Amino acid sequence: MRRVAIAPRHDWQDQVERLGFAFHTIDGETYWDESAAYAFTLEQIERDVEAPTDAIEQLCFAFIEKAIDDEEILARLAIPAAQWDFIRESWQRGDRNLYGRLDLAYDGTGPAKLLEYNADTPTGLFESSVVQWDWLEQAMARGALPAGCDQFNALHERLITAFGQLRAPAPYRLHLTCVQNSNEDKGTVDYLMDCAVQAGLDARFSFIEEIGLLSDGRFCDGANQPIETLFKLYPWEWLFRESYAGNLATARCQFIEPPWKAILSNKGLLAFLWEMEAGHPNLLPAFFEGDPRCAGLSPRHVRKPLYSREGANITLLERGKVLDSDDGPYGAEGFILQDAAPNLFGSAGQYAVLGSWLVASQACGLCIREDASPITKNTSRFVPHYIEA
Amino acid sequence: MKRSTQIGLAAAGVVLVATIWANSGDDTQEDSLVYNSLAECRAAGQLSSSQCEQRFNEATANHLRDAKKFTSTAACETEYGAGSCRSAVWNGAQVVVPALAGIMLARSLSQGGGAAQPLLPPTQQACPPGSQQPECQQARSSSSSSGGSSGSYGGRSGSSSSSSRAYSTTSGAALVARSGTVSGASSASTVSRGGFGSTSHSYSSSSSS
Repeated sequence: MRRVAIAPRHDWQDQVERLGFAFHTIDGETYWDESAAYAFTLEQIERDVEAPTDAIEQLCFAFIEKAIDDEEILARLAIPAAQWDFIRESWQRGDRNLYGRLDLAYDGTGPAKLLEYNADTPTGLFESSVVQWDWLEQAMARGALPAGCDQFNALHERLITAFGQLRAPAPYRLHLTCVQNSNEDKGTVDYLMDCAVQAGLDARFSFIEEIGLLSDGRFCDGANQPIETLFKLYPWEWLFRESYAGNLATARCQFIEPPWKAILSNKGLLAFLWEMEAGHPNLLPAFFEGDPRCAGLSPRHVRKPLYSREGANITLLERGKVLDSDDGPYGAEGFILQDAAPNLFGSAGQYAVLGSWLVASQACGLCIREDASPITKNTSRFVPHYIEA
Repeated sequence: MKRSTQIGLAAAGVVLVATIWANSGDDTQEDSLVYNSLAECRAAGQLSSSQCEQRFNEATANHLRDAKKFTSTAACETEYGAGSCRSAVWNGAQVVVPALAGIMLARSLSQGGGAAQPLLPPTQQACPPGSQQPECQQARSSSSSSGGSSGSYGGRSGSSSSSSRAYSTTSGAALVARSGTVSGASSASTVSRGGFGSTSHSYSSSSSS
């Protein structure tokens, strides 16, 4: 793993915009950053990213099996008791999932370490799947990189295949939803909708605020069309606490991501995984705050709220001193403490976190987020990667 | 190879690697539940001309009966936005009401459409002045034409909701609907709307990670 400086395409804005990538610059700051790229060997990708990602997913499934009938665990994860049956049934029914992203610390040597699992509402998908793919093709075409380079990125193909298999019989009607006022979320959903259309589905979009409830108990879109299958780029922990929470289980709707993802998209997962598999090479020691075992953590550790997105409310501590933190609105449900990763890649004053993508629970792609601080935030830059020829 | 062999983006009209992708256009004729004008209802051809007229007459009558009445244009516009109100005579008195923005049929077309409910412009609360929401812009420009597909991922001109338009009902509820291309096969009626999304409004950033 190396950080390689590469000259950006002179017209890179035009090039990424032609793909429909509209948020390459966010609040005046570069988000898509092709002034550098990360180079990996094929062995690093297959042995240190792909295989551990699949292994961690299996570990997560084992944890769900355990958690699903353990009220203490579900309560510890701050999942409302009223939703436990709803979650259980989705798991027992075998509701399929579409995608997720493991955030890993990795510096090119030794095992990658799981920082967290964005199991429910990951973004960064379009730039991973399409924009960095096209960047590599062009980099090889213009001679900036040697021909024969590759990339860990089968996202586009896998997403289309997965959409066709989420529900039977296919093609089915799929609604997709996200919040208003977020270009990034809308961009992710627009891309997924494109994949769904290519899978032959009847795909329709509604903002989450438009969703209504029909007299027969089903949800409907802004045009009163009943919703039978809903992709929601909106976290389960919020859906569980809003006005329609009591209608979720009776809406006869297949949700994507399925309700059982609520068990994984929670930092409490990190503490439970460590409890299950202490010493696992791809896990970092982690405990719920207040657990006496926290005393055994490294002096340099991280405090994370159970629910947090884009680095919000995460604090990096060294011997009780705050080294880095990000403000935010999360934390009411509690915190976990996790050892700071000893193998975060740092170069040229930049830290890099690997995002390892799963589609239908199979590792199939990689993205790199870079930041001048060790906490990846919503201001972090997306830097493309390639596998050396 | 660890990467996709080809990438086709239907909405952006981009195919990377020369491969012909199936046309994803949807030609199926859909039912319509919302019409912005009598002309639009007739042009859609899903109800007969006289049915359209009847529905608009009903809705117009209900509109005047149910809409909130104001004593001045300024008061009405404070609530519904500039250019959204008109004068009317109600029970012999001069009043100002939010103008009729469209009608919504209560039932699917296969059931004859049912009674028509009047739709009003969105309130200022739902669509604040200068709002960039496409639904609001659509409503404020009082145009029923579709914005069409821009093929942009993540821009404000998202391809799929560009013809969505914001309305409010006479009871003050906010509503977003797509006129002309709205499919409404449901026999169930909508009992409420807006039960999701409240949490995100107390957070500044996106709901994803």
